[in-house]
Amino acid sequence: MLILALKNLTRRRLRTALTLFGIAISVGVLACLLAFGKGYEAGLGRELNNMGIQMMLVPLGCPYDAAARVLKGKTLDVSLPAESVKTVRREVGVEIAAPMLMATLPRPSEGRTDLWVGVEESIRPLKPWWKMKEGSRWFPDENSVILGAEAANVELRQVGDTFFSPETGRKFTVCGVLERSGTSDDSQFFVPLATAQAMFRQPDRITAVAIRLKDPTLIGDVSKRLQEVRGAQVVTMAEMMGTFLNLIGSVRTLVLAIAIVALCISGLSVFNTMLSAVLERTRELGVLRAVGASRSQVFSLLTVEAVLLTTLGSAIGVILALLFGHFVELIVRFFVQIAPSEAFLILSREVIQDCFMVGIVVGLGAGLYPAWQASRLQPVDAIRAD
Amino acid sequence: MADSILVSAQGLTKVYNRGTEEVRALDGVTFDLQRGEFTAVVGVSGAGKTTLLHLLGCMDTPTSGELLIDGQSTRGLSDSALTRMRREQVGFVFQHFGLLPTLTVMENLTLPTLFSKKEAKAYANELLERVGLTHRRNHLPNQLSGGEMQRVAIARALINRPQVLLADEPTGNLDSANGEAILQLFHQLHRDGLTIIVVTHNPILANATQRQLVLHDGRLVP
Ligand SMILES: Nc1ncnc2c1ncn2[C@@H]1O[C@H](COP(=O)(O)OP(=O)(O)OP(=O)(O)O)[C@@H](O)[C@H]1O
Ligand SMILES: [Mg+2]
Repeated sequence: MLILALKNLTRRRLRTALTLFGIAISVGVLACLLAFGKGYEAGLGRELNNMGIQMMLVPLGCPYDAAARVLKGKTLDVSLPAESVKTVRREVGVEIAAPMLMATLPRPSEGRTDLWVGVEESIRPLKPWWKMKEGSRWFPDENSVILGAEAANVELRQVGDTFFSPETGRKFTVCGVLERSGTSDDSQFFVPLATAQAMFRQPDRITAVAIRLKDPTLIGDVSKRLQEVRGAQVVTMAEMMGTFLNLIGSVRTLVLAIAIVALCISGLSVFNTMLSAVLERTRELGVLRAVGASRSQVFSLLTVEAVLLTTLGSAIGVILALLFGHFVELIVRFFVQIAPSEAFLILSREVIQDCFMVGIVVGLGAGLYPAWQASRLQPVDAIRAD
Repeated sequence: MADSILVSAQGLTKVYNRGTEEVRALDGVTFDLQRGEFTAVVGVSGAGKTTLLHLLGCMDTPTSGELLIDGQSTRGLSDSALTRMRREQVGFVFQHFGLLPTLTVMENLTLPTLFSKKEAKAYANELLERVGLTHRRNHLPNQLSGGEMQRVAIARALINRPQVLLADEPTGNLDSANGEAILQLFHQLHRDGLTIIVVTHNPILANATQRQLVLHDGRLVP
């Protein structure tokens, strides 16, 4: 039976190929989408946990936007008083509170904008992924700078180099260079907090306080108490991630809708393929009935054909997703700011199974009516039809 | 001997509706055929021969009248029961062979066993041998001559070991040499005890049979 169905499909090669192609594309999109959803959530969650930062104190305003900007190394227009760090440190649940001041330095002569970040030593445990290159040291004096890997590359600087920053009128010594980490840190200039405050004429101001708790389970209490700090608000990473995933979620819903429409269209093309196959083969189907095929056998033959078509299409779709998923990931990375640094488009076995399930369901859905039509043929109607 | 009657037609009538007009393709046809009889159905074009053969082969149901095969009435049988009759009792040879173009000779031959779920590899080989097409087993129908296709069709009709073989103009599309070969095959099958009914315009074939049923305008001419 299976062989019979398969042979029937090979008959109209072009039509079968087109139908297969349609299914393959929509299943491929679906596969990427499902894989993306799962991988992305898992990857982002892992990353935020690794960060060692559980919450952030940021100036009032759109909290998530602010936190996302800080995380991604962008500046905020507003700032906090430096005392807020002390307030945070007084809070019993807090293990580490690291103040940061971020400022952009336009470099019209170079055609780019540098991002300078003022930090204290307290930031180091919160950036566990930081690895310094050979010979690096933590700021020995106020005119030291630590360069991100990318920044060092662009500036053509190594540890020990000295350079003059005409925009700020200061002379810096490179005391350290970070290894590439795949995060936004790569392109940043790190200086002592006090230096940054002086450089950018923001005395006693900071942009954000990164916080690690002694006990992460107390996050709710601590954030409630810190919410009291004037002009500031607390954003927990869980909230951040939640909001962000919501955003991603709505994008996904949109793409999912597109994938479903695509699936419906390919379902229709399976329907069309099968229906015209039934019309074309009326006579042969009559022969089958005449030599003893029952209605249900003709019905299942046509259904098997449809499901075979969609299953084959799904297989091709999954293969396409495996082959080109990487590009999709690159595109997503390009458009989405916060993306996990490791690969997140992972075609797990579950995802592949889901895709095949969808393929089979579409095949059944699209094949039932043509199959039913075929099974209603009487042997004699079919024989005479020519 | 009542139980030697294999096929019994009683007042078989088939009316087709062509638009508003009614066509009485068969009109009260009554006859009995003995087990093992070799019968020809003859008549001018449009006399109702094909219609009769379809009724005998349970491909279609009569408007009125009754058909008994091996003593069993086919009146009021469900679609699945008629399917079982087609599968088990009759072998049908179509005028245009009715081979599936995508299947090889062997696959076409064993097609009915796919639905009856009977294993018949050995018998298929035997039949193929018998119709002289063993060397063609893996060929597709479009690689065969008309005579060869007809022989495959006959072999296929026999694969489920039917009680009666029905053939609609089996020599109609063949030259005389091939027609002769088919006739010899029928003779052999008849000698082996098979009941055969052929619709034919071919006088040689008709004269080779034991009995002729002559149809005219849907009625049996005595
Ligand atoms: N499906 C149908 N609908 C309407 N009329 C039909 C149908 N099938 C057959 N007829 C008519 O019934 C009559 C008998 O047809 P049938 O095919 O049985 O003739 P036949 O004896 O086999 O002729 P031929 O020798 O040309 O094959 C014809 O007048 C034909 O036009
Ligand atoms: Mg005819």
